[in-house]
Amino acid sequence: MTRTRSIKKFMKFAGVPLAIFIIVLVVPFVNGFYYSFTDWDGFKATKLVGFANYTESFEDPRFWSTLKFTALFVVVSLILVNAVAFGLALIVTSKLKSKNFLRTFFFVPNLIGGVILGVIWQFIFNSALVALAEKYDWEMFKESWLQDTNKAFWALIIVTIWQSSGYMMIVYITGLISIENDVIEASQIDGASPVRTLFSIKIPLMAQAFTIALFLTLRSGFMAYDVNVALTGGGPFRTTELISLHIFEDAFAEGDFGTGQAKAVIMFLVVALAALVQVSISKRYEVQR
Amino acid sequence: MKKSMKLGAIALASTLSLSVIAFATPANAETCPRKATVTMLGTIKPEIQDQFLATVAEYNKSQNCYTVKSVPGDRKLTFLQNVTPMYAAKNAPTIMYTLQEIPDMADKVLDLKTTRLARLVSKSLLASGNVNGRQVGVPSTAEAFGLLYNKKVLDKAGVDPSKITTRAELEAAFKKVEAAGKKPLHFSAIWWSLGAHFTNIFHTNVGKTKEARLQGLDDLVAGKANLANNGTFKNWVATMDLLKKYNAGKVNLTDTEYDASIANLAGGDFGFMFQGNWTEPNLITASKGDDFGIMPLPISNNAKDYGNDSIPVGVPGYFMIDAQQSSKWQQKGAIDFLTWLYTSPAGQKRVAGPVEEGGMSFIPVYKGFKIEPKTYMAKEISKFASAGKTLDWMNSYYPAGLQEEVGKVSMQQYFTDKISAAELAKAIENAWKGKPKTWRGEAA
Repeated sequence: MTRTRSIKKFMKFAGVPLAIFIIVLVVPFVNGFYYSFTDWDGFKATKLVGFANYTESFEDPRFWSTLKFTALFVVVSLILVNAVAFGLALIVTSKLKSKNFLRTFFFVPNLIGGVILGVIWQFIFNSALVALAEKYDWEMFKESWLQDTNKAFWALIIVTIWQSSGYMMIVYITGLISIENDVIEASQIDGASPVRTLFSIKIPLMAQAFTIALFLTLRSGFMAYDVNVALTGGGPFRTTELISLHIFEDAFAEGDFGTGQAKAVIMFLVVALAALVQVSISKRYEVQR
Repeated sequence: MKKSMKLGAIALASTLSLSVIAFATPANAETCPRKATVTMLGTIKPEIQDQFLATVAEYNKSQNCYTVKSVPGDRKLTFLQNVTPMYAAKNAPTIMYTLQEIPDMADKVLDLKTTRLARLVSKSLLASGNVNGRQVGVPSTAEAFGLLYNKKVLDKAGVDPSKITTRAELEAAFKKVEAAGKKPLHFSAIWWSLGAHFTNIFHTNVGKTKEARLQGLDDLVAGKANLANNGTFKNWVATMDLLKKYNAGKVNLTDTEYDASIANLAGGDFGFMFQGNWTEPNLITASKGDDFGIMPLPISNNAKDYGNDSIPVGVPGYFMIDAQQSSKWQQKGAIDFLTWLYTSPAGQKRVAGPVEEGGMSFIPVYKGFKIEPKTYMAKEISKFASAGKTLDWMNSYYPAGLQEEVGKVSMQQYFTDKISAAELAKAIENAWKGKPKTWRGEAA
């Protein structure tokens, strides 16, 4: 009796969100998992092919190079985005007069959609910087950064930092202002320097913010797609394709939906594993209050 | 419970009555009680988008049975990338327009063999739209590519393009243009130009007969082509080296170079560029009415070699009509629109008329055209065509995704000196290996 009632209650409140969750997430996921074992061509699947799509994926040298490139991108963007975001959060929680203006200022890039942002930066790297470089003789920018794999990588990183550090800054601000003032005052009375306060008091007490911010950047690093498409389009020579773009190209441009789907499942496993490891490590540093 | 049953009954009744109407209409086509909306993906080409949309508006006004509507696709994406999600969403466009993906779509579209349009086109121009005996597409126009030139610049430099029949003579012409104080050529690194058109110069010069050219593709698929020792391939690479040497355009691997190259040739500072006649309207507009011509790209030093005096002419795309998700009425509307476009005086004026007057300046491929484009390049192309000096568009047979792979990777790498000619040969061989031979009737 109580059990059916509690189920009823649960459905009353969570029924609609649960249904949406199942329809837009669970069903497509199961579907995709199933398709990775078929010869799906985007229109129809005629037969099961076992693990053929998976072996084909692992034999594709570009899949490996893309995975490597994505891993590098995730690591570098994870470190830099969080470093910059934390720095910005420290600035805007300090006693600066312009801190409210700066908060808005740093957050605004996050409101611009990834594709538009990519197009804007493509223009900056391709035309604006090149034109300026020719006028003022800057060796570094004379050739568009998007022509060279390594420089295009840094272009991707710069745009990612520019876009997402403002958002992560908000997460860190919440962490920073949740620390009680008396703890900080106590440390100052004990004679701790600002740096010492930062590392021994603030960071340990806001470890939860780090868990969240690191998880979000890790996930968005693996899922990055729109900036990738609009900024480099995978070029030059398809060497800056991140995993999402690679899967999309594989499935839709070449019509290999089976292998594309298999690669998507592999990517899911990689992301899930990385996220689990990250969360369990950062959880250890969280302080219970 | 009861309520929902009632609703269901109403819904059922209304669909029944609707289907009665749908059955009744074709018998009495003049009245058209219900207007069908016929969707088309894209606007044939982005270059003539405005003209095409105006044409559609004119058609919609000319009759009251159908409304044709162009749904914009994402131009950064390929045809398949645009169309598969639409099919998955049960929202397929009625009219589709593409070239290399025709084999992928063949089982989803109508056989147009018995339509009036298909009977008005020569067999050779229907070939790439024919899959296993079914005429799944009808052509839009004929296009040509090769070396385009600015007539003013060449006249001033004293270069007669009709006299250039070997690679050495081409180099001499580049030098003459340079001597006249102009830049010889803009050879752009755009992936589709390299991946589809420049590679075609090799695949089409490989054999004098169609069978020999298709055999060339067969060998590539079977992995026994050995390009590095192929004479035509060596000549083709040498030609690319020559174009690279005299290229004065600023290399950019993203697509921005297309507009830059048109501006350069139209601006009168450049003599040549490697492109196609689809740029002619833009060139004329940008230069405020100058003449631009087209000439073959000679790939050897023997003037008599096959292909040195000819330009590749082909159909850039075929119209297909969805047979799976569009109603009979929509399909009928699609055929009606295309027939109007290519056979009615108003439609023909839109198709072949000059760009300034809202036309698309297409070279007609259907019999019975009263209007011919009168621009300089269009007339030159007609001359090549009537003299039989045309080459096949082997790029019509490239499997889906191949021109992206070859164009964006190996060709751009060779263009920017990242790989050697031998590595380019290997890369092209690898890209082709094991691909479906759609030209032999294999499923895509």
